[in-house]
Amino acid sequence: MQLTDDQQAILEGSRGSFLAKCMKWLIDWGEVMGAMRLIKVHNTHALLPVPNLMAKGASKDVLRNYMQTLYEATEYTTAPGCHCTVHATFVNRDEIDAKENDPEQAKLQKDMANKARDAGFIPTFTCAPYLVGNVPVMGEICAWTESSAVVYANSILGARTTRHGTESAIASSLLGWVPEFGVLLSENRQGTLRIKVTAELSDSTDWGALGYFAGKEAGLCIPVFEGTQQLSQEDAKQLCAALATSGGVTMCHIVGFTPEAPTLEAAFHGNVPESFLVFDEKKKRETYYSLRNHTADEVDMVILGCPHASLREIGQFAALLKGKKIAKGVRLWIDTAHGTKENADYIGYSKVFDEAGASGYITDGCPMNLRMYAKRIVTHGFKQAHYARTMSKAEVIIASVESCVQSAIEGRWIGDDK
Amino acid sequence: MTNERIIIKGKTVVPGHAQGKALVADATLSFWGEVDAVTGEILAVGHPLQGQSIKGRVLIIRSTKGSSGAPMMMNIASLSGAAPVAMINVEVDALAALGSIVNCIPMMTDLDENPFDCIKSGDHVVVDASNGIIYVSK
Repeated sequence: MQLTDDQQAILEGSRGSFLAKCMKWLIDWGEVMGAMRLIKVHNTHALLPVPNLMAKGASKDVLRNYMQTLYEATEYTTAPGCHCTVHATFVNRDEIDAKENDPEQAKLQKDMANKARDAGFIPTFTCAPYLVGNVPVMGEICAWTESSAVVYANSILGARTTRHGTESAIASSLLGWVPEFGVLLSENRQGTLRIKVTAELSDSTDWGALGYFAGKEAGLCIPVFEGTQQLSQEDAKQLCAALATSGGVTMCHIVGFTPEAPTLEAAFHGNVPESFLVFDEKKKRETYYSLRNHTADEVDMVILGCPHASLREIGQFAALLKGKKIAKGVRLWIDTAHGTKENADYIGYSKVFDEAGASGYITDGCPMNLRMYAKRIVTHGFKQAHYARTMSKAEVIIASVESCVQSAIEGRWIGDDK
Repeated sequence: MTNERIIIKGKTVVPGHAQGKALVADATLSFWGEVDAVTGEILAVGHPLQGQSIKGRVLIIRSTKGSSGAPMMMNIASLSGAAPVAMINVEVDALAALGSIVNCIPMMTDLDENPFDCIKSGDHVVVDASNGIIYVSK
């Protein structure tokens, strides 16, 4: 890779050993992935979590060594002019049952959050930064963690980011450089898998089903969807999250709706493949039933907001719960960023949840990293359902938002027409 | 183990040398959410390697996928001694490459032979990623 004098000097330690290490990570990563140079980045989304349950059983030394990178990073300041937001944490910001939210980990995360803020990171704490003030524009070079947000940024917004991890996003945030490879280059943004959609996509969970089906088929490919109707932000959120759950997708195109796919030809940069997959009603149904492994209908947990709920979704949840009571023994969690929650508090949505007897918000966190003492979980996010099945050992049921809320009210899975 | 020994050339992703028993599946895997980073156990429901451990193995899969938490979980696995000793992936996900670089896990891709045809779980594999060669003993 060609380095500028400035980059070479940093690599040789002109700004200290940690930034030299960061520079080396970016260079080595770039060389492996085919980059010829480092380019400027002014928009990052970094993952700075304490491990919490993700490292259950790890020794204190392991945790200390892991945290060392985060502590070292926050001793610097973010690159001038770089908008650096922060991913969701692995704890809940507010006090909830300590059984579920380790108080020691919560304290460590609070400490890390303050250090990150002082280092110049914007404490958004969300997996959906595009909902709370980080909305890159078409063509903007970014360095984002969060697999679902990466797909969203590339596909829906036309911004450009490869799939980043903790170390590369920290390095990009502090140095303001990113290796130029993959979808940062126009020629690597063409579709590579054609999918005709004939199934009706009647809500955001249906879009999640499309993503979960397509991600499995796509692996690391760039799927192109044709035949869909107009989608909403929430539909896009579910599609993108599911694509990066069953697959390792970096971006997709939706013909007629996403910025780089006005036509099928444009999505494939002129090379439209003749062969295609079809997502029909049968495939949709099979996709739903691949994440419905319940052996009974009683439900003890309902999770809404994966990826983090938008204000519009929270309004929808509130409308469905207004004047209703959640069944005894059922916990209902709403996952969102504090920025969105504060709006929901102000509007009055949160009062509705209190009155209905909801357990409340998982603010700034990802519930997958909390202990979930649940036997049977209903959720509307394919990503949530996929990982909940693996990580919590609970049975899962994927369902529409309406069906999730009704199941919480009745205390049992009420079924749907999916 | 018989005396059969196969030599396969491939492309270096992350240089280094390692050896161990192969763990092979023509499948994808997310290190976050589908692997217990402390024990190395693969948790993914319905995965062909569910219940097996990546610890100390030469992990041969199609590619990684899923969460961007992968490099961080590879770091925790590496610090816990539960990481694979080497990785051979048919396709290179940027996250696997990053995690392998940060944690010094030798990684190769683009083998001359289809690894799923000629390497079975349990085969002893020597990975010379610096020179782009693997040696498989049955």
